[in-house]
Amino acid sequence: MAKHVPTANGTEMTGATSLVKSLEAAGVEVMFGLPGGAILPAYDPIFDSTIRHILVRHEQGAGHAATGYAQVTGRAGVCIATSGPGATNLVTPLMDAAMDSVPLVAITGQVPSAAIGTDAFQEADIRGITMPFTKHNYLVTDPAEIPGVIAEAFHIATTGRPGPVLVDVAKDALQKMTTYNWPTSIKLAGYNPKTTPDAQAITDAAALIAQSSKPVFYVGGGVIKANASAELRQLVELLGAPVVTTLMARGAFPDSHPLHMGMPGMHGTVAAVTALQKADLLITLGARFDDRVTGKLSTFAPNAKILHADIDPAEIGKNRHADVAVVGDVRETISALIPALKAALAKSQPDLSTWLRQMNSLKATYPLGYDVPDDGSLSPQLVIERIGKISGTDTIFTSGVGQHQMWASQFISYEHPRTWLNSGGAGTMGYGVPAAMGAKVGAPNATVWAIDGDGCFQMTNQELVTCALNNIPIKVAIINNESLGMVRQWQTLFYEGRYSNTSLESKRVPNFPMLAESMGCVGLSCERPEDLDKTIEKAMSINDQPVVVDFRVHRDAMVWPMVAAGTSNDEIMIARATAPDWDSQEL
Amino acid sequence: MTTNRRQHTLEVLVENEPGVLARVAGLFSRRAFNIETLNVGPTEDSSISKMIIGVAVEGHSLEQVIAQLDKLVSVISIKDVTAQAKEVHDTQPDYQN
Repeated sequence: MAKHVPTANGTEMTGATSLVKSLEAAGVEVMFGLPGGAILPAYDPIFDSTIRHILVRHEQGAGHAATGYAQVTGRAGVCIATSGPGATNLVTPLMDAAMDSVPLVAITGQVPSAAIGTDAFQEADIRGITMPFTKHNYLVTDPAEIPGVIAEAFHIATTGRPGPVLVDVAKDALQKMTTYNWPTSIKLAGYNPKTTPDAQAITDAAALIAQSSKPVFYVGGGVIKANASAELRQLVELLGAPVVTTLMARGAFPDSHPLHMGMPGMHGTVAAVTALQKADLLITLGARFDDRVTGKLSTFAPNAKILHADIDPAEIGKNRHADVAVVGDVRETISALIPALKAALAKSQPDLSTWLRQMNSLKATYPLGYDVPDDGSLSPQLVIERIGKISGTDTIFTSGVGQHQMWASQFISYEHPRTWLNSGGAGTMGYGVPAAMGAKVGAPNATVWAIDGDGCFQMTNQELVTCALNNIPIKVAIINNESLGMVRQWQTLFYEGRYSNTSLESKRVPNFPMLAESMGCVGLSCERPEDLDKTIEKAMSINDQPVVVDFRVHRDAMVWPMVAAGTSNDEIMIARATAPDWDSQEL
Repeated sequence: MTTNRRQHTLEVLVENEPGVLARVAGLFSRRAFNIETLNVGPTEDSSISKMIIGVAVEGHSLEQVIAQLDKLVSVISIKDVTAQAKEVHDTQPDYQN
């Protein structure tokens, strides 16, 4: 890649060149996009840029790829599209990035400023459309504003609580001549994120922890965003309390650690869900009391005081009152909490042995498990578990949304942050393949597996063409149960097995290996347990092409444990109509 | 979450830029906050507008309304100017994100 040479301020150029020079100045190395009429002026200087532009097959793929790139690198992901339908195809990835706090900058072309408001060809009010789920957005009609807006966009996307920013640029602003002027500093009167926690809040937090006898670390995705895993481990080991990691936080704390109770929530472990329900203190770090974690909110963690540390003040008290709130970067917060807690523990050291014994008993009694079908067919959980084991803990996994996502969060052991990428808040089917593409671009030396469903795969698989043509050799495991499996599970449980519109017939059509081959990938298939390991090993041996494996699995497997939507976490089921045997537990 | 049926009056300084009214109104709409009244006017500084928002706090805490408003980059400051209100919410930096 040619080395980026900064452009001198005061240079005359078109708005389009100014846009591309600004992206270079912001440190962009890769962007994912697809040109069209309104953005076309920008594509001319992109031709000469140091930035690697990856031409996608659908703008949604560009958006999720930028998200995957951001999630593995910690840097802002960049996607670029034209006006109208090009821009609206970015709407889902922007909403997805907002829900999961992903730093993303989206650039869109807009019709010429004189045509705005006239229902011009390919005109869409993308700034208006994306207001609810961008951290901020811009419509630029004056080319002189381009460098300042781009600098602000990256600043806003990557600081505070990360999130998506959209910059819509009118075509005439790209075409006109302007003077390039990259700002030396950014000053936004209405944006000044607080990263350093208040000293008093830290002292109060340490005192609250030292007084508790049943504390639990409730760890959310913010810990990964803040690169706070090492600090978290120190804090956890200092106190010796159990830990749960949410769907967005898998990998923030090693699964192999004895204090890890697993994932809480709708499909969490009995130990993790019960730890929250029985705790007297939740040490909440970068988590937001999402309904998929709390279950019925009024019955969530009924005896617990809440210590809530988050960078976003609006999360404090949004769903659950915080007894002590610490607003700030969670890494700074944990770093400050370690010495404060040491001091507090020196005065009074709580005895957590009974609490830990109870939790370890639950963890031992109710490990995650699954029934292997007795008809010789392939179990989806076994497929995912074997991929995790054979590929190893340095692998980056992405997933779509549904049963395969939950199994991938349960049956793969995550030891490192930024190795598990999924669509948590938005639940975007089709996230898996394009996110894997972006992840592989961001971490080219890592093995990247997309654990996908047959439904999800059919939403975004066109990006495998992009992967094949751009030397992005990802691996895709289609967990093919020929169904919209999670919806089917709900129909089994709550709609008397009336399977309305959830049968995809994807063991008949399409032929996934042939589809993969047609897109320049290697296509494999597996439907017998005895072929499983050698098929995975074959996929692992191919590193110069994307690989797609059609794992044809048992259709009726269900995700357990489960807390049904809207019910209390106390009503967790470990199998259909089977609650844990609470009487045998000392709680 | 505290429930408070009182009407509060917020004085909100915002960047005077196209779309800022939509940003504020859209926030109230999507978060299911109730706007009773909304007035927008100029200030001595032409780059800043002042919004006076009457909000019926019902089911949401006033703190949540203010914290969500303050997440808007175009919002510079928020003051609770309800008669007898003692609290002043200077958004720098406690309510900033």
